[in-house]
Amino acid sequence: MSALRFEDVWFAYGAIPVLRGIGLSIEPGEAVALLGRNGAGKTTLTKLVMALLHPQRGYVWIGDRITQGRTPEQVAARTAYVFQHADQQLFARTVLQEVAFGPRQLGLTPHEVEAVVAAALRRVGLDRVAHEHPYDLPPAQRKLVTLAAALAQRPRVLVLDEPSQGMDAPSVQRVADVLRSLASEGVAILAVTHDLTLVAEALDRTLVLEDHQIAYDGPSAALVSDDTRARQLGLEAPAAARLSVRLGLPGHPVRIAEAAAALRVRVAGDAAGS
Amino acid sequence: MTLGYRPGQGLLHRTHPLTTAALAGAVSLLAFLLPGELAPWALVAGLCALALVAGLVPVLGAAAAFSAPFWGFLAVIHGVFGHDLGTAVVLAGRITAILTVFLLLLASVHPGRLVDAMLARGVPFGLAYLLAATLQAVPQLQRRATAILDAQRCRGLRVRGSVLRRLRAVVPLTVPLVLGALAEVDERALALEIRGAASGTRRTPLDPPVDGPWDRATRWILLAAVAGVAIWRLWP
Amino acid sequence: MSVQLERVSFRYPGAAFDALREVTFECAPGCVHLVTGRLGAGCSTLLQVIAGLAPHVTGGSRSGSVVTLGRDPAGSERHDLAGRIGLLLPTPWTQLSGMAYTVAEEVAFGPANLGWDRERIRQAVDEALRLVALERVAARDPRTLSGGELQRVMFAAVIAMDPEVCLLDEPAMELDPAGAEALYAHLPVLARERTVILATTDLDRAVSAAGRVILLDGGAVIGDGNPAEILGTPRAVETGATTTVARIASLAGADLTYPLTVAAAVERFSR
Repeated sequence: MSALRFEDVWFAYGAIPVLRGIGLSIEPGEAVALLGRNGAGKTTLTKLVMALLHPQRGYVWIGDRITQGRTPEQVAARTAYVFQHADQQLFARTVLQEVAFGPRQLGLTPHEVEAVVAAALRRVGLDRVAHEHPYDLPPAQRKLVTLAAALAQRPRVLVLDEPSQGMDAPSVQRVADVLRSLASEGVAILAVTHDLTLVAEALDRTLVLEDHQIAYDGPSAALVSDDTRARQLGLEAPAAARLSVRLGLPGHPVRIAEAAAALRVRVAGDAAGS
Repeated sequence: MTLGYRPGQGLLHRTHPLTTAALAGAVSLLAFLLPGELAPWALVAGLCALALVAGLVPVLGAAAAFSAPFWGFLAVIHGVFGHDLGTAVVLAGRITAILTVFLLLLASVHPGRLVDAMLARGVPFGLAYLLAATLQAVPQLQRRATAILDAQRCRGLRVRGSVLRRLRAVVPLTVPLVLGALAEVDERALALEIRGAASGTRRTPLDPPVDGPWDRATRWILLAAVAGVAIWRLWP
Repeated sequence: MSVQLERVSFRYPGAAFDALREVTFECAPGCVHLVTGRLGAGCSTLLQVIAGLAPHVTGGSRSGSVVTLGRDPAGSERHDLAGRIGLLLPTPWTQLSGMAYTVAEEVAFGPANLGWDRERIRQAVDEALRLVALERVAARDPRTLSGGELQRVMFAAVIAMDPEVCLLDEPAMELDPAGAEALYAHLPVLARERTVILATTDLDRAVSAAGRVILLDGGAVIGDGNPAEILGTPRAVETGATTTVARIASLAGADLTYPLTVAAAVERFSR
């Protein structure tokens, strides 16, 4: 059974069509990037997942339940959403209390709440700032707080909107590591992003929305190493992918660690040769 | 139902911002000064006619939506428990009249033109901006509140149901609203300062509103009406 | 020198630590000065201190000497600097004046505050919108624009005031890659006659525009020089403040100095 499935979904804002006949399914453990130009309907699609909106035609399934007739707070039992702007949700006096909010709403016991919160904070590297006020943290760290808050809900489906925006390279790497480890635990991930570095590092499959439909549904590696195609979408292939292609590194690796490993062979070979 | 400025060319849009502001002030005072249970409702009827002429009928829907909870509350407190429906009617009328006229002000007055009109009258930029920004605060908060509600519901917050449940929802909904608004105020203060808002130089009005004879006459009439009623009601 | 800082430290109100520690450097027109470091290093605070907004608007305490265009920007003479320092913040919607109903009015807000005559304002607005290729949205409500379009409008709003010092804090955060590239490509042109100081962690793109890098860590300057000698070092890799290509080269065991761009790496490692 798919973790998330769209069955011939149509959606319009009044007379303005946004999504036409969208069909997709994401299995448990799959990490999927959702790309498209501004206005393509990416955010609308994620809101349909969370039952913030409902399709005019077709069905959205989360596991074995459709979202029609359900509210976001009901869907939150299985699905968590990391919004683009962290400040839309931060209200608690400490990071710890903020992250604990979701699991408490979902009815976990105090002991369970304490455990999931500690695990979530450790996972995103915020355990040292657990007792700080969220608004005292820099914007990028506030985003990490909202990611921790979503993880604490123990979702089976995780939806993220621009999770790496405004982050420095180490923070982007941390987000990538978190997403990869979640996927390995069977969480289905759908991330709206412009950051092809994040796609390369953590999201193995890519969906591209164009002209209200899915124009591409396939492996991310094929897309991120094709700078021409990326530019057609208003994106840019990540540096690791461009470097691999330009240097002709075997396998054209798109991830930083893999590109470095391939390059190490060449560097070592050059050193031996000289 | 969105609050805030609605572009247009109707009667109120063409009126000088200070005249519309004077109308809001006058209606607010008259709602308390005029005698009789139905007097505030007569003001409301007048405002409805004005909204119709000015092409701002949708604003009346917003006014009704904001006033309705007060009608219910007053009907219960004064009508049912206090056995004094008359007081409920008067108070409801006053609240409705004041809400309606301020929503019409919000919808028809471009904040930039209001600031320019105040600057032309010698009001310091800081004060003029503060007044205009306060008017804009409501639609901005409304947009932000919608986003916050979505975010918290996605975390499992239940907002329907028992009174206790709704009360529990107040903090996670209002605190991000207030904190976010305050953080935004901090950043906006930086941006305004660097964009010369406190430069001390006289600002160039970009589209100065014309203060015609009808506007000035209207303001005098409003002043006279308020003064006249005040003297009539308060003179021993 | 347009900007001179000497042993400047700054602490926000109620903070336990200094956000800037004994910072000393100078900037002049001629190249883009790139200020970078890991998150929380103090780059945004540094720009606000140069603009005088810290501590004048933010509160807090500052020690050391800050001289921008010959004056202390937070001191009693700061009004002389009105309009001569431009600052672009990362989030465009918090920079909206709240008084403009069209994009043109928004861009005109700053020049109008400086008391320019209407014709001069109109020309400045037209030119600024042309620079960011947004003439077509001049009559639109700024609130209906996307984040990326709005950030370009706010960039135009800064340029329209014709400042001598341009401080740009993550100016491309809301922009798509094409928009970011266009913005960074323009900065060296801007820097020919203005002092341009850019604070960003988007080093893969920004490094090509920079003529000089000031590396911060924990509020202190730990490096100041040309991009290759500052960002192509193990220290930069350690702090995470370097380009992806440099990180890959470091992981691959390449010799110093690490190349910073794909082009430089291709030149170095091609067979």
